[in-house]
Amino acid sequence: MRFASLIGAAAVMAALMAASDGARAFDDAKYPDLKGQWLRARPPAGVTGQAPFDPDKSWGLAQQAPLTPEYQKILEASLADQAAGGQGSWPSAKCLAVGMPAIMGPFQPMEFIVLPEVTYVRIDHNRDTRRRIFTDGRDWPANIQPSFDGYSIGRWLDTTGNGRFDTLEAETRNFKGPRSFEPSGMALHADNQTIVKERIYLDKADPTLLHNDMTVIDHALTRPWTVEKKYRRDAAEQPFWPEYMCAESTGLIYIGADMYFLGGDGNLMPARKDQAPPDLTYFNLPKKK
Amino acid sequence: MLGRSLLGTTVMAAALFTACAGAYAFDESKYPDLKGQWVRARVPGVTGQPGYDPTKNQGLAQNAPLKPEFQAILEANIKDQAAGGQGGDPTYACISPGMPRIMNPYGDMEIVITPDTTHILLEHIHDSRRIFTDGRAWPTGYIEAMYRGYSIGKWLDTDGDGRFDTLEVETRHFKGPRAFDAAGIPLHPDNETVVQERIHWDKNKPDTLTDEITTIDHALTRPWTVTKTYVRGHVAQPEWFEEVCAEGNNHIGIAGQNYFMSGDGRLMPAKKDQPPPDLRYFKQPQK
Repeated sequence: MRFASLIGAAAVMAALMAASDGARAFDDAKYPDLKGQWLRARPPAGVTGQAPFDPDKSWGLAQQAPLTPEYQKILEASLADQAAGGQGSWPSAKCLAVGMPAIMGPFQPMEFIVLPEVTYVRIDHNRDTRRRIFTDGRDWPANIQPSFDGYSIGRWLDTTGNGRFDTLEAETRNFKGPRSFEPSGMALHADNQTIVKERIYLDKADPTLLHNDMTVIDHALTRPWTVEKKYRRDAAEQPFWPEYMCAESTGLIYIGADMYFLGGDGNLMPARKDQAPPDLTYFNLPKKK
Repeated sequence: MLGRSLLGTTVMAAALFTACAGAYAFDESKYPDLKGQWVRARVPGVTGQPGYDPTKNQGLAQNAPLKPEFQAILEANIKDQAAGGQGGDPTYACISPGMPRIMNPYGDMEIVITPDTTHILLEHIHDSRRIFTDGRAWPTGYIEAMYRGYSIGKWLDTDGDGRFDTLEVETRHFKGPRAFDAAGIPLHPDNETVVQERIHWDKNKPDTLTDEITTIDHALTRPWTVTKTYVRGHVAQPEWFEEVCAEGNNHIGIAGQNYFMSGDGRLMPAKKDQPPPDLRYFKQPQK
């Protein structure tokens, strides 16, 4: 009788546990707390330039990127063009999406939304990027459109064996271009066969510091290039998420291959010394007397 | 003895249950299942780009309750578009349509629910939203105005079945210019718009979602309420297309005028007999 009661009680307990398990499908205690607003961590003293790919070195030549000779020349030409007033091979100047891996600079505040099947990375920059890193165990899809952000598949790891995931391992493929590593115009290969591998994890000692160990494999490089990006969590409880509208703020106009400025009065201006005005062949201009 | 054993077992069960409940902080079964890819429902007989009222064609057919001044703006916009202009539709320049037009919607929509925020992810021109459901008050002091505005929401269980089914949202703090649709039905330039929404999921029609939107705006004679309907696709792993407006945009805005870029990369007029842009800052002869 006593035994039967115990069985009954155990059955009730099991039912309660099962009901609980079914009703609460997402055990977010198993995942790291990535809530909040993340910004690019302050670079070491002396590092200059916008969001360099390797955050520990200044952008451009100081990155010492393992570029093939052909792509080293492209970088040098981009820097020379920028020095002359151009934008070099940095596609963001045209308000194009910067894509991977540059988007993870990041240029604007970043939010991670961790759900069992997907980890979303929201960054409102030229495009309001929402990377989807699929963690549902899927395979690489066949026949999908390439994109600047690429297609990301990830896996959560419990590297310490404490029953809680701590590291998101992600791989991203299926790109389109043009893309550059950073605003210096350090181009990725035009074949867009880039593979980006990431390991994203919170610092063990400092939960306001997030690491992203990133490796890029690309035919513009002589070897895989690994850098350690760091992001700092904003302490604000209700951070403001700005809306970034590139088209609204850009003062650059591209007509064909030529770039011009828009003046304060809205009129077209040359971007380089002695730059010729645009061709007006298609306008009915008054005939010269 | 038996009583003590039962009591002990029950205590153990309760302790385990509590531990279990504590570990599961996000009880997603309390929220509607909105996973997947949503698109706007097609309405038979309605043509063209989506209107604010999805049951009518865009533009004059919407019968928008506009004040005479803003009705005149709409008519001027339609006339400008007929002449080759963009008349009151800022999206041609890759500017977000903003609220309430975002919710027409133009691209595929994903709704991601977390306890503190419901994210509405839309692939178009900066159309994605955050609806804060953490019980916050309207921010005090200065906050940057945005095309999508600032949204605060509250989940409701309207049928008392223990599961939320309706997200009530209010959105404020706008910037402009914004229009209700591509025809250029204007919102007031004071940007004091208030948009109220009831996004409702009916458990008996799980692949249909409705959004009852009321827009309060000084361009209108009264609040304007419409109901939008979205349907869910049945693909297990839907493809989320990436839209980059600047990539395929051949509109060029100079000094408030819209021009085109031709296939050969030259500037072209967008309207008949349109004069070329002012080139006063150039010293060099034309190419």
